[in-house]
Amino acid sequence: MSVRQNGEIINNNLLYNDYYKVDFYAPEITKNAKAGQFIHLKIAKLEDRILRRPFSICNVSNDGTLTILYKVVGKGTEHLSKLKKCDVCDIMGPLGNPYSPPLDDEIPVVIAGGYGAASTYLLLHNSQQKGYLLLGGRSKDDLILVDEYKKTGSTVLTSTNDGSYGHKGLVTELIPDVLAKNKGKKLRFYACGPMGMLMAVGQQLLKEGFDAELSLDHLMCCGVGACFACVIKVKANNEDGWRYARTCSEGPIFKASEVYYG
Amino acid sequence: MANLTTNLNTENHPFNEKLILKNPVMPASGTFGYGVEYAEYFKLEKLGAVVVKGIAPFASHGNPTPRVAEVTSGMLNAIGLQGPGIDKFLKGEEYLPFLKQQNCPIIVNIWGKTVEDYVEVAERLNEEADALTAIEINISCPNVKEGGVAFGTDEKLAYTVISKVRAATNIPLITKLSPNVTKIAPFAQVAEDAGSNMISLINTIPGMAIDIKTRKPKIANLTGGLSGPAIKPIAVRMVNEAYNAVKIPIIGMGGIMTGDDAIEFFLAGASAIGVGTAIFADPMAPINIIDGIDKFLDSEGFGNISDIIGQMGK
Ligand SMILES: Cc1cc2nc3c(=O)[nH]c(=O)nc-3n(C[C@H](O)[C@H](O)[C@H](O)COP(=O)(O)OP(=O)(O)OC[C@H]3O[C@@H](n4cnc5c(N)ncnc54)[C@H](O)[C@@H]3O)c2cc1C
Ligand SMILES: Cc1cc2nc3c(=O)[nH]c(=O)nc-3n(C[C@H](O)[C@H](O)[C@H](O)COP(=O)(O)O)c2cc1C
Ligand code: FES
Repeated sequence: MSVRQNGEIINNNLLYNDYYKVDFYAPEITKNAKAGQFIHLKIAKLEDRILRRPFSICNVSNDGTLTILYKVVGKGTEHLSKLKKCDVCDIMGPLGNPYSPPLDDEIPVVIAGGYGAASTYLLLHNSQQKGYLLLGGRSKDDLILVDEYKKTGSTVLTSTNDGSYGHKGLVTELIPDVLAKNKGKKLRFYACGPMGMLMAVGQQLLKEGFDAELSLDHLMCCGVGACFACVIKVKANNEDGWRYARTCSEGPIFKASEVYYG
Repeated sequence: MANLTTNLNTENHPFNEKLILKNPVMPASGTFGYGVEYAEYFKLEKLGAVVVKGIAPFASHGNPTPRVAEVTSGMLNAIGLQGPGIDKFLKGEEYLPFLKQQNCPIIVNIWGKTVEDYVEVAERLNEEADALTAIEINISCPNVKEGGVAFGTDEKLAYTVISKVRAATNIPLITKLSPNVTKIAPFAQVAEDAGSNMISLINTIPGMAIDIKTRKPKIANLTGGLSGPAIKPIAVRMVNEAYNAVKIPIIGMGGIMTGDDAIEFFLAGASAIGVGTAIFADPMAPINIIDGIDKFLDSEGFGNISDIIGQMGK
């Protein structure tokens, strides 16, 4: 059940570089929120920009605090970064389908890139089984929430394209090691990050005989399945072998085996 | 509380109760899905009517992505009429069967690549004639290569498609006009002459936006239809020109965000209004607009919405 609610900003702070963390008081939304879902935020006082912006739910707490982690990339996020305690934003949520949590005998393996790590935090935080976070970015500055993930008891492995932190290379290159270390155990894979990374992760895991839950999104407009702006290709039983699925309402979580890699 | 009852009947072609709506506010086609998507946010029965996204005889993929781009005071879209097709619309539980449970008038927007396509959807909708308040013939979508706006910018083609649909069904007809013509009045007249019971306008206006860093168009289709507050003055002007040209009721739309915006359309000559892009900004927009219209009428001392239709002074 998703609702529209005014959320008052409790705090809105720079984490590092272009990454910010904002806490809203939004109890109607937090009470139903699950890992992998998102909110659709009308950034207050944005004047001549009328659309909402989607953000993954990073964390929620029992006192009604809804935490979002965001990177300043354009007009809306820039403006958001200037909002202060007590400013109020209109929030829709929780929207979209959540990740399915790991079963008791499964080890969760999360592969995340950039702000994608915000979407998977609650998953590992809530998981009984300690798991893995494989976190990738262009450089050290893109690796967010490393300490927070460590606190969940997860093993954090990192990669950067420039080698400034952890393995030098792509995050997908960290996967074989995890597979080797966990032979015979049940693994459950999740991934969130840039589209290119998700496509690579999906195809690599399918080749290894695993499926994965990928959080796929696209430019959104309504956020609820009404406008067909946000579509990606998924396999379908028709002449073309694919159809466009709405990432907001049918996703954002899709199985790697459902995605059409064409 | 002013009386917002909206009568869309015309003297020589009355449909009686069917075209009497509890208020003049309806979503604009394509911005409200098939109704089910917003049913969590408010009861659909609060609307004057629900208008669904364009239905063709066939299922269609729509355009490649990106399909939308935000621009100053509006947005561009080139969705390209992705849709389930008429079979699924009539039978699929999240489509018409759901809407029929909602106690709200239902308007089905239709499109096709050929005249025969339009006729086919209209004929299929006859199966549900009692459940439908009207068919809205979309001859104005700027984002599909075949059909769409090609019919809406040629008077002869427009006449053919409307009159053939008219012959195929007794369901009340709305013709959705394209703003992409030099003069709107002749097209409004064509719609009236061809047997349309109402007209709706405006559809979106083609535009383009370019990402200056990648130097690529922001819409994969290159152009997209502009909607939102940016187009409101054009829409108000066209509603007024159409109002001066025809007797059939007009459903005005284009950039309506508030009750006051809606009032401008009524003064220009609209009998009802459509809310599109505003719903993306706020799903409650149609409801807030109904309240805003009511407040305006009360505060200005008008008892009925009909008191202000076409009442722009000179
Ligand atoms: C399901 C989902 C979850 C997301 N989670 C996060 C998150 O946790 N943290 C985070 O920093 N960002 C997240 N994003 C991306 C975030 O929505 C965009 O960065 C933001 O909309 C940019 O807005 P802007 O006004 O600053 O940028 P501008 O480029 O000025 O925005 C212009 C328009 O494009 C849209 N847009 C631009 N970039 C994106 C993008 N990457 N994805 C979707 N829409 C975009 C905007 O919403 C706006 O409508 C998520 C996106 C989706 C779809
Ligand atoms: C995303 C989007 C999809 C649309 N799809 C349709 C459609 O399927 N059929 C149609 O007749 N008009 C469609 N329209 C046009 C709207 O119904 C409306 O005429 C136009 O957007 C102007 O109103 P607005 O400024 O309030 O949005 C669409 C508009 C948008 C923004
Ligand atoms: S954003 Fe409108 S359908 Fe997904």
